Amino acid sequence: MSMPPAQSGYTCPYCRLASDGASRTCPHCGAPVDVRLKISDSGWIEQPPIRDMARIRFSRSTCQISGEYVPVAEMGLHDDDWVYFSHHVLLHCDPMVRFDNMPMKGAWKRMRAGMPLVMMRAQGPGHIAFSADHPGETLAVPLVPGRAIDVAEHRFLVATGNVAYDWQNSDVWFTTPGDNNSEEWHYPLGRTMDTFAATGTNGLLLLHAPGNTFIRDLQPGQRILVQPTGLIWKDQSVRMFLHFEYPHGNYWYRSARWQAKTTWLTLEGPGRVAVQSVFERPEPTGTVRRSSGATTQFW
Amino acid sequence: MDRIECQWCKAQNQTGRTNCTTCGAPLDTKDLVTDSGWAEAPRLRDMTEFRFSSSTCQIEGEIVPVAELALAQGDSVFFEHHVMLWKEPQVPMSALNTGGGMKRMLGGMPHILSVAHGPGRVAFSRDHAGEVVVLPLHPSMELDVREHAFLAGTHSLSYSFVRIKGLANILHGGGGMYMDRFVTHSEPGLLLLHGYGNVFQKTLQPGEKIMVEPGGFLYKDSSVTMNAIKQSVKTGLLGGHNMYLAEMTGPGRVGIQSMYVHHGSE
Repeated sequence: MSMPPAQSGYTCPYCRLASDGASRTCPHCGAPVDVRLKISDSGWIEQPPIRDMARIRFSRSTCQISGEYVPVAEMGLHDDDWVYFSHHVLLHCDPMVRFDNMPMKGAWKRMRAGMPLVMMRAQGPGHIAFSADHPGETLAVPLVPGRAIDVAEHRFLVATGNVAYDWQNSDVWFTTPGDNNSEEWHYPLGRTMDTFAATGTNGLLLLHAPGNTFIRDLQPGQRILVQPTGLIWKDQSVRMFLHFEYPHGNYWYRSARWQAKTTWLTLEGPGRVAVQSVFERPEPTGTVRRSSGATTQFW
Repeated sequence: MDRIECQWCKAQNQTGRTNCTTCGAPLDTKDLVTDSGWAEAPRLRDMTEFRFSSSTCQIEGEIVPVAELALAQGDSVFFEHHVMLWKEPQVPMSALNTGGGMKRMLGGMPHILSVAHGPGRVAFSRDHAGEVVVLPLHPSMELDVREHAFLAGTHSLSYSFVRIKGLANILHGGGGMYMDRFVTHSEPGLLLLHGYGNVFQKTLQPGEKIMVEPGGFLYKDSSVTMNAIKQSVKTGLLGGHNMYLAEMTGPGRVGIQSMYVHHGSE
């Protein structure tokens, strides 16, 4: 365990932005200032939950986080500010908040990947609130101009208007034999990843992660194996690729070894990564025929 | 003698108490209200106990809380049978016919509510992380609750169900066809709900409106009207999607939950 730096000239260990440290929470990401930094022996930093009713400032608006099981992010939008989101996370709003849509490229691919076809825009003035559908934590990721992060699909909650949004194929896949000599495709991380970047001024990105959240700074070349559905976000400098691990043992039939494999996502530094403690149980799959870039280990 | 008023249920409590005797809300912590006026339902401390009629209720656990009732002779509670977690063997059980058999079948609601009679202990919980919301109802109050949200009601409450008015509200309101209605007459009653995630309440002034995701609606005073309002979201491809929000108009209380199933798009 180590303590955060002195309160004067405080740099938040979670969002790495400076503030005067005078308030109980970081004004940029809402993380508590007056709690002990919790670092596991292996180097994972536990992201402390944002305190109930903590406020984060962005542009001329505020974001208040309320609740602790399934937190609600309530924005008090100024006339000049707007946010965008996927419509299914909207919980409540003042009647005067104005809505329109933000079309996106690649509608067919997004539909196939189970991603929303449009984002909605909400323009101030007024209050508007968002929540997700799993117990977990709301993460506030402030983005300074020039910084971009990659986010796993379905983790995005809401972003301020000055955060640019894009998406690309995750390029993490493998195939196994299917019926009638066909190929079955698997996307352990999902078909797509979202990319968010601040443009011009500081932006605010809110994510929702089921369970607890842990962050880690990887050194150049340092690798870590994580469950693919456990990834929340990563710096763009972090490389990722599959790793198949086959345990040693005696198997009764030929395909058992293939079924017993573990499909990992390798994350290679430099850069920061964030993972969540809730992830999908991997399905047993057969022989890997083809895959995106991957490493293999037979024990 | 000085009294402390509970900010959640408005009951008067003796000074020095840390929990409200009527609803269990902490009296020694600050109320949590968002900038737009949503009050967070009080987070009941583990093992908090409060009274109703001659009986007591204790809330246990924090992630999926259990409401354990010690029923006195002459007291009873009604509930949907699948929320009963355990009971003492000697607690007598009976059934309460809700009426409207075909309608309730169509609405996916149970035909029969179970009733547990004192003396003895019985405990209830639902199946997801969330909060137990304790709502003491004063005489002549009417409260509408989304289906499958109620945990237990005391014998002094009369139970009925009301059809949600308007086809658009049924199809797009996210609350199904019916809402449970609980009414008190001459005696106060106690209603326990389970809200998924966190629960928030706002009191609307006459004519005041708020837009709510239909799946997030949990309860309202019967004086609050609810209408599904369509918001068009054009995709620019083959037409568009419609999103429905529930427009709630005061006067009265509205309760919402932060974890919900989204029903409102087509």
